[in-house]
Amino acid sequence: MKALALGGLAALVLALAVILGPTHVAWADLSTSPVVRDLRVPRALLAFLVGGALAVSGASLQALVRNPLADPFLLGLSGGAGLGAVLAIAGHLSGPGALPLAAFAGALAATALVSRLGLVADAELDPRVLLLAGVAVGAFAGAVMTAIVSLSDAVELRNAFLWLWGGLSGASWLTVLVIAVYLPLPLIVLYASARSLDLLALGEEPARHLGAEVTPVKRRVYLAASALTGAAVAVSGVIGFVGLIVPHLMRFGWGHRHRALLPASFVGGGILLVAADILARVAVAPRELPVGIVTALVGVPLFALLLRRWTT
Amino acid sequence: MLTLADVRYRYPGAARDALHGVSLDARPGELHAILGPNGSGKTTLLRVALGLLRPDAGRARIAGRPAHLWPRRELAKIVGVVPQREETAFPQRVRESVLLGRYPHLSLWRGEGAADRAAVTSALERCDAADLADRWIATLSGGEYQRVRLARALAQEPSVLVLDEPTASLDLRHEMDLFELVRDLVDRENLSAILITHHVNLAARFADRVLLLAAGRPAGAGTPAEVLSRDAAERVFEWPVEIQQFDARPQMVPLRKRKDRP
Amino acid sequence: MGLRPHRPHLAGVLLALAACRGAGHRQAGPSAIVATDDAGRRVALAAPARRVVSLSPAVTELLFALGAGDRVVGRTHWCDYPPQVSAIPDVGDGLNPNVEAVSARKPDLVVLYRSPMDATAAEQFDRMGVASALVSQDRIEDLARAARLLGALTGRAAAGDSIADALGALLSAPPPFPTSRVAFVVWDNPPMVIGAGSYLDQLATLAGARNVFHDLAAPSATVSLEVIAQRDPDAIVVLSDSGALPSWAHRPEWRTVRAVREGRIISLAGSLFARPSPRAALAAAELRRRLEGAR
Repeated sequence: MKALALGGLAALVLALAVILGPTHVAWADLSTSPVVRDLRVPRALLAFLVGGALAVSGASLQALVRNPLADPFLLGLSGGAGLGAVLAIAGHLSGPGALPLAAFAGALAATALVSRLGLVADAELDPRVLLLAGVAVGAFAGAVMTAIVSLSDAVELRNAFLWLWGGLSGASWLTVLVIAVYLPLPLIVLYASARSLDLLALGEEPARHLGAEVTPVKRRVYLAASALTGAAVAVSGVIGFVGLIVPHLMRFGWGHRHRALLPASFVGGGILLVAADILARVAVAPRELPVGIVTALVGVPLFALLLRRWTT
Repeated sequence: MLTLADVRYRYPGAARDALHGVSLDARPGELHAILGPNGSGKTTLLRVALGLLRPDAGRARIAGRPAHLWPRRELAKIVGVVPQREETAFPQRVRESVLLGRYPHLSLWRGEGAADRAAVTSALERCDAADLADRWIATLSGGEYQRVRLARALAQEPSVLVLDEPTASLDLRHEMDLFELVRDLVDRENLSAILITHHVNLAARFADRVLLLAAGRPAGAGTPAEVLSRDAAERVFEWPVEIQQFDARPQMVPLRKRKDRP
Repeated sequence: MGLRPHRPHLAGVLLALAACRGAGHRQAGPSAIVATDDAGRRVALAAPARRVVSLSPAVTELLFALGAGDRVVGRTHWCDYPPQVSAIPDVGDGLNPNVEAVSARKPDLVVLYRSPMDATAAEQFDRMGVASALVSQDRIEDLARAARLLGALTGRAAAGDSIADALGALLSAPPPFPTSRVAFVVWDNPPMVIGAGSYLDQLATLAGARNVFHDLAAPSATVSLEVIAQRDPDAIVVLSDSGALPSWAHRPEWRTVRAVREGRIISLAGSLFARPSPRAALAAAELRRRLEGAR
């Protein structure tokens, strides 16, 4: 029943994303119009996949660091991925595979740095230290990006800033294909780790006693979450709050068992980002807002609400 | 089931052994208590016994196999642990939390079935916690919470039960409840139980065997009557005590600094 | 004209004091030249400027057009016209001026683009006793005003007036009847186009074309690709020094735009088209020629 409602909502926003737009397309022409086929459909699909990837990444990281406030953005992954992408642009790497790979490498480097900083004496990742380390690494990556962008002569790189703010205007069947190729592996890895994530929420030692191979699981989950974030950043820039808000919302309906929570978060994240992108396109038409601004505008008040609920 | 033979362990970079010459043999139907002051190596002993640390010398075996070689999931089917602490970052209901004890029995492709749900219900009943099943963990009292965690360990259907200071923050009634419950499980289900505790007198009354640790070395092992002599207790706890008998078990009475001393 | 706006609040008083102190450092004497820049600031010089640092390419070009090119002692990284500018020392990218690097050229006048960041820099020049002028240069009428101002400040008032009059005449003549519709695309992801606030929009009008994004008041704006496709310009205009087609022209999502599909992309050289200049009439004629060629 819940699943049906979520599926229905997903179908509804995807349909809206395809129907709504400045160009009037008659019902009969929906399947043949190039505007629908080459612009709206790939953009809606890209938004859905990116939103899903970010939400699953967020849900997994929250369990991993046992902190409901974690998300790819706060843990510095998005910043690292953005830096990787900017370096790729500055180094003139091109090709559909290069940007996601560079972003993935950046996310991974940020992850390694964050977990190194978050490592305390007993070799367990202290969730609070980890979160602080993530914020610090994210800020550092942001500063390096700003430095590169402002020191560079190339106009392209100045405009990379616009792209970093998150936007789906680059959507095409090629970007959909790129992300559709990148996503399945990390998604499967995370789904297969779902039960270990349930256990990890108790802490590392209790998780071990309940049968989790903690160290390899942590490594796998970190890698997979970095891959998801990297792919998302590569095709759409840095989009915050999806990874934070969606798992929270989904826990109301699906509890915190990741076998149910991860798929629900994927669909929920897809719905949120498609809806946010519709707003970004329609609210100030013919102009367009960066979708990351819309998710922040929607996400922050929602987050404040959840935080109050959580703490009272 | 679970044996330690002459185990030595030193943490990397430490100046002295955390454990030295420690042996333990936990048999079915026996409740083992491990006693000792803070920092005497009780928790290190558990970690070595459960394969989280590999002994530098001696042997730590579970069902005949070196403890550190057990895949965690296989081990979790025969050893159930109630650790000292765990985190509750995400709200969860009692039944869901106890179901985590079934995870070692599930596979990637197999979700939980009727047998698993029955095991959860049975574990809750045996811990007198059936009526808590639909409560949120966060709403439980300290005593209820410990019963639920014990139920989760039982849901693993283990033959060895390990409890690390399970009554640390409980009042008298809940503390006695829990000791009675563990004793009862050991007797009725022929479990082998290892219990770390600071409560010398409760250990003496409930345990079959006691291991007394001092600075990582055994200061006595055997029945409570054998181990808890005045001499040994004063040496280990570094405080004058008197040993009295109650119900044929030794009970330790710490003395006041001046008044009680001879 | 020339009156400092009355600002009763503390910050204003402090600024005024700072300015007075700065003035005190200057050599006493009558100010022979007094003008007001586009920010309403009073610019006073004892004599026509001899050493000018220009912090914008349009100003550099204008100074040369005024016949004051030999007085330019510092320029930005981006200045590229006329070719002689390459011999002048580069003092930075001009966006966030390095006040120290500029003062090292010992200018008696610094000309800045009018932006909030540059306004802060201008205050610093004031405090150091170096005259500075903030000049708008987004549209042709801005450039006409700048020509008069810089003409006055460099003692080339006649040349300034003549350039300003020529630009004014260009604007006041009835524009040709628009025969084509264009969109200026300055960036592809996210797509950014030129709106009514920009010089290029004026240039389109002068070239007998209509900017399909004339309804956007801003100089530039992010729009969705679909809006470009829907507004269906006859030609897409891009700025590029190499003259090569932009890489996005071959991407399938851009091919939903008819002009891209039909290959009507006009690539204009940045040094003539990216900023208003005394060569505006030339630029308009060139654009008109290219638009006709693309049809």
